[in-house]
Amino acid sequence: MDSEDSSDSDVKREVRSAKDKRLDALGASVKAIENAQKINDWVVIQNEFDKLNKIASKGPAGMNAIPRLYIKTIALLEDFLNETLQKEKDSKKKMNATQAKALNYMKQRIKKNNRQYEEEIEKWRLNPASEESEDSSAEEVKQKKKKTIVESDEESQDEDDNENDNDDGFTIVNKKAKPSVVYTSENLFRKLREVLEARGKKNTDRLEQIKILQKLLEVASTPYQEIRVLLALIPSQFDYNPSMSNYMNVDMWKSTLKEINQLLIILEDNPKYIIHEAAEEELEDKEPVVEAGQPPFTIRGSIVSFVDRLDDEFTKSLQNIDPHTTDYVDRLKDETELYATIVRGQIYFEKNALSESTSRMVMRRLEHLYYKPDQVIQTVENTVKTILPQSLESTITTSSSENDSTELIHSLCVYLYKKGESLLRTRAMLCHIYHHALHNRFYVARDMLLMSHLQDNIHQSDIGTQILHNRTMVQVGLCAFREGMVKEAQSCLQEICGTGRVKELLAQGLLLQKYMQLPPEQEKLDRQRQLPFHMHINLELLECAYLTCSMLLEIPSMAAAGSNLEARKKVISKPFRRMLDYNERQVFSGPPENTRDHIMGAAKALAAGEWQKCQELINAIKIWDLMPETQKIKDMLNRKIQEEGLRTYLFTYSTYYVTLGLNQLATMFSLPINTVTAIISKMIWNEELAASLDQVNNVVVLHRVELTKVQQLTLMFAEKAVSFVEANERTLEQKQTTGQNQRDQQRQKANQQHQNVEKRPAYQKRDGNQQRSRNNFNNVLGNSVRGRTQQNRYRS
Amino acid sequence: MASYDLIPRMIPYMDRHLVFPLLEFLSFNKIYPDHDLLKAKYELLAKTNMVDFISELYKQIHNTDKVPSEFAIKRQEVLQTLENLQTEAQKVLDIIENPEVITALRQDKLQNLHFLREKYGLTDEMVYTLYQFAQFQYNCGNYGGASSLLYHFRILSTDHELILSALWGKLASDILDPNWDADAALEEVQKLRETIDQKNFASPLHQLQQRTWFIHWSIFVFFNHPKGRDSIIDVFFNPSYINTIQTSCPWILRYLTTAVVTNKRRKNILKDLIKIIQQESYEYRDPITEFIESLYVKFDFEGAQHKLKECEEVLSNDFFLVATKMEFIENARYLISETYCRIHLKIDISGLSQTLNLGKEEGEKWIVNLIRDTRVDAKIDFKENTVIMNQNHTSIYQQVIECTKGLSFRSQVMSSTIEKREAHQSSNAVEAVVE
Repeated sequence: MDSEDSSDSDVKREVRSAKDKRLDALGASVKAIENAQKINDWVVIQNEFDKLNKIASKGPAGMNAIPRLYIKTIALLEDFLNETLQKEKDSKKKMNATQAKALNYMKQRIKKNNRQYEEEIEKWRLNPASEESEDSSAEEVKQKKKKTIVESDEESQDEDDNENDNDDGFTIVNKKAKPSVVYTSENLFRKLREVLEARGKKNTDRLEQIKILQKLLEVASTPYQEIRVLLALIPSQFDYNPSMSNYMNVDMWKSTLKEINQLLIILEDNPKYIIHEAAEEELEDKEPVVEAGQPPFTIRGSIVSFVDRLDDEFTKSLQNIDPHTTDYVDRLKDETELYATIVRGQIYFEKNALSESTSRMVMRRLEHLYYKPDQVIQTVENTVKTILPQSLESTITTSSSENDSTELIHSLCVYLYKKGESLLRTRAMLCHIYHHALHNRFYVARDMLLMSHLQDNIHQSDIGTQILHNRTMVQVGLCAFREGMVKEAQSCLQEICGTGRVKELLAQGLLLQKYMQLPPEQEKLDRQRQLPFHMHINLELLECAYLTCSMLLEIPSMAAAGSNLEARKKVISKPFRRMLDYNERQVFSGPPENTRDHIMGAAKALAAGEWQKCQELINAIKIWDLMPETQKIKDMLNRKIQEEGLRTYLFTYSTYYVTLGLNQLATMFSLPINTVTAIISKMIWNEELAASLDQVNNVVVLHRVELTKVQQLTLMFAEKAVSFVEANERTLEQKQTTGQNQRDQQRQKANQQHQNVEKRPAYQKRDGNQQRSRNNFNNVLGNSVRGRTQQNRYRS
Repeated sequence: MASYDLIPRMIPYMDRHLVFPLLEFLSFNKIYPDHDLLKAKYELLAKTNMVDFISELYKQIHNTDKVPSEFAIKRQEVLQTLENLQTEAQKVLDIIENPEVITALRQDKLQNLHFLREKYGLTDEMVYTLYQFAQFQYNCGNYGGASSLLYHFRILSTDHELILSALWGKLASDILDPNWDADAALEEVQKLRETIDQKNFASPLHQLQQRTWFIHWSIFVFFNHPKGRDSIIDVFFNPSYINTIQTSCPWILRYLTTAVVTNKRRKNILKDLIKIIQQESYEYRDPITEFIESLYVKFDFEGAQHKLKECEEVLSNDFFLVATKMEFIENARYLISETYCRIHLKIDISGLSQTLNLGKEEGEKWIVNLIRDTRVDAKIDFKENTVIMNQNHTSIYQQVIECTKGLSFRSQVMSSTIEKREAHQSSNAVEAVVE
């Protein structure tokens, strides 16, 4: 190739000018590089690149202009290099050694080389479509043009200087640092355009851009200019940090927050401008003239996305800061200001009837509030009132509702139910339920959960919403627990706590996986989903509540089962049973140390009828202090333990007695005699206990009939026979229905009729669902979360 | 007592005319001040066409004999419209009542309409006047007339929306036409229910509303018709209706509970009722549901006894339930004693009589009656003044027999279905071959 080239140029040496010759040589090298790129041959690329540089640098005297072709080539080469490096990283397959070496060499060379030509590359990138083979005349024209621009620039600068001198006698300080660029409100639009065009390009110094824009903002003189500059400045600050996993610098975040506020203030003060996502992109850099009475001028941009992004960055920073440091607390203090901005944005959108943006803001607002206790919401709202000017009033939340957090949340949610799209509605509903549960309104929360049919299709929603759903379920469970509804609490918490993946399901920490390795992207996503620490639900408290509920249900049921193997198999809470078994297998058991030990000890005491010891152990658990009204909860638990203790006692020891004195039972469990009678009556009525009361002597008479072995076996035999017949019937039924379907398919006409008939049941079924939701509360609750866990399992 | 009065809650779901008897009842019971009630009545009826009655009320409220002139004007207007509508509707009625026409009418509505149009020039507008006239009659308080007009309208009209509202109208007229012996109202209830269940409503909310209205209106019928108390259980325990009650009008539980308690044959439904009462207890409770709750959930017999006393009062102040008061108390006693006896082995008679709100003598009589009716298997020990229950344990042999009783029959059914199916299949095969 080399020799060919040289011979070619030899032939033409006489006819061509030195410049043309150079261009030809360049062309040849470029072609070779292009070919090599196609086959990814870095050794060739390296050789040709060296040659290219030699030609370019050894240009004849007077030809100091670097050929455009050269610039184009090195720019493209750089892109290709980056691309290759990227690919290299992703793919497992390695390049061979020589290739890899060449690639590495090129990487360094190009970096070094391209730095010299930065400006030219930039220019080329701005206008890559221009003709590749530009002749010198065109080049010259361009040069001249450029000069004129520069000259005019200088002129205007002079003018500006003069003006400045005239005005106040000093010039802008920045001028010294970069004497060639001066920013004024006159050339603002042009500079702005330059910056905007450079945005997103390689080699653009992002920090530099931000600085330029900030300077522009200083000189901007009209609201329109300010808006335009801010619209450019805010995104470029967001862009500053290119990586998804890192969070934005806190100072920069704060300045962005300030700028967004500034933007909002400008817009509030100048109602003649509206920022709209669907607006036409304005091309002229002129100040628009808006006269009074005309519709406001729309500017293209999206404040919603700014605020969204700001909020996301805030969350991201909280995810990354260690929650146990003061940094975290300091960062958390910024939330109020952020919240104020969100409220401000909401009011702005509301005023301008941008309903979609409004609902997004309302959702953001809700998500900042729903998990907080009343006092915090109150303080935040009050601070926001002081931050925002009085004139700003929202129609969604009236001032009266701002004084009452429940009212506030209610009005926000109702707005979203009415206006929001389905995802926002779902999330709003979940937040609303969460809030109710937090305030111990179990029935309201339960009814909302069931009436909204959220659980039917929560598996189809995105993972973030599913996490919110899990959080809500857990909170509803805790609410039931606080209200003393042990059974409800257990069934709500069962699916989440029973999995042993609580952390993952609530997005409060990654699960350390011993056997499976998550793909890195998956892990990254999981990491991004984590909730910041201040939103966490205390897992230990959760486990404690769950295990206590399980104990109160499981111990009597185990006692009732007695030696009956079949009944023993009916497990209410698997994790509880597992722990109890483990605990019982231990040869020595020391004094309880953690929450689990306490509960296991309590469970064993309860099973043995020592309810006082059980109470002591449960009361000794320290984590109860985290619940509001600790004493009330402890009292409730004590009471439950007494009752369940009585039941367990009756189940366990009733076989050894003919009669039991009610008074004695009452003193044994220190319960009022009425309660004892009621509990025993209930057990008799539900046929849990074969006994009856003797009102005259105030005793329980137990009718225990001991079965002989033969009788017992006969009974079992009879039961087996029944289940056989039932199984047979079911099989037949199934066969019948499937057979019918097949026959129907054979006959078209019959098939149509079949469908007609089926329409109605489908409609009725919907009603049935509604019914089910209310009455089979426990089942439904269980199902939905189970679905979620299955999906998770599938995912991982 | 006003706190247990459900009428204010129910009024939003009733028609003006249906509310009137309720208010009448209230003024009779004197829970609220008379003057307020008179005003309420006046406001209620001000928009109807019963001008004479309204002016009468006006006089009572303001204690004058003078009546504003607007009443007279309105009276004139009403009479005028009445006449107009009457003449127009008469045309239609003439056609319909023609015996020739009656014999010619078929099942198919469209065909009928076509036929009437061809032969007698009956137009859709004319049919519509029938509807208007019925509405007017109803507004004037002539419920019987409205009812029969709507009957005719329903036969002729093909507009589904209007037919539905005609159904509502006819139900209201039949309720207000105090003729309970005829089954008209009960039939109407049935028809309306079918229509509501089968109709495809635009939104579930609309359907819920319709059902709520229906539930409120039907109470009139259910508690006045002799067969009503069976039907109320059938209808309200239907999944979609119990759901409606739970979502939009939990106070209906009082009526449902009363119906269940007073119904001797449908005791098995009690379990479902208890469940529902328990679920709704945070939203609605009154002495009647609390009675059931304390008896079957808390097993607090003393509490049940207190509640029963309160029930008496509540029932005597409830428009719908006044008539069933004695029956309710009687049946509630049965429930208490039944539960009590099932749990206890030995009962002190005086204690039981106290629980039942009866004197000692009465209590003994009551128990003897119970034993005689074989509701309870027990003996009285006169010396100790106690009742001793006979414990009837199902012996193990009994259990096995119970268990295996149906098995052979079920197996037989199964084998016969299999045979049938095989026969069917072979015939199908033959058919297939022939085809």
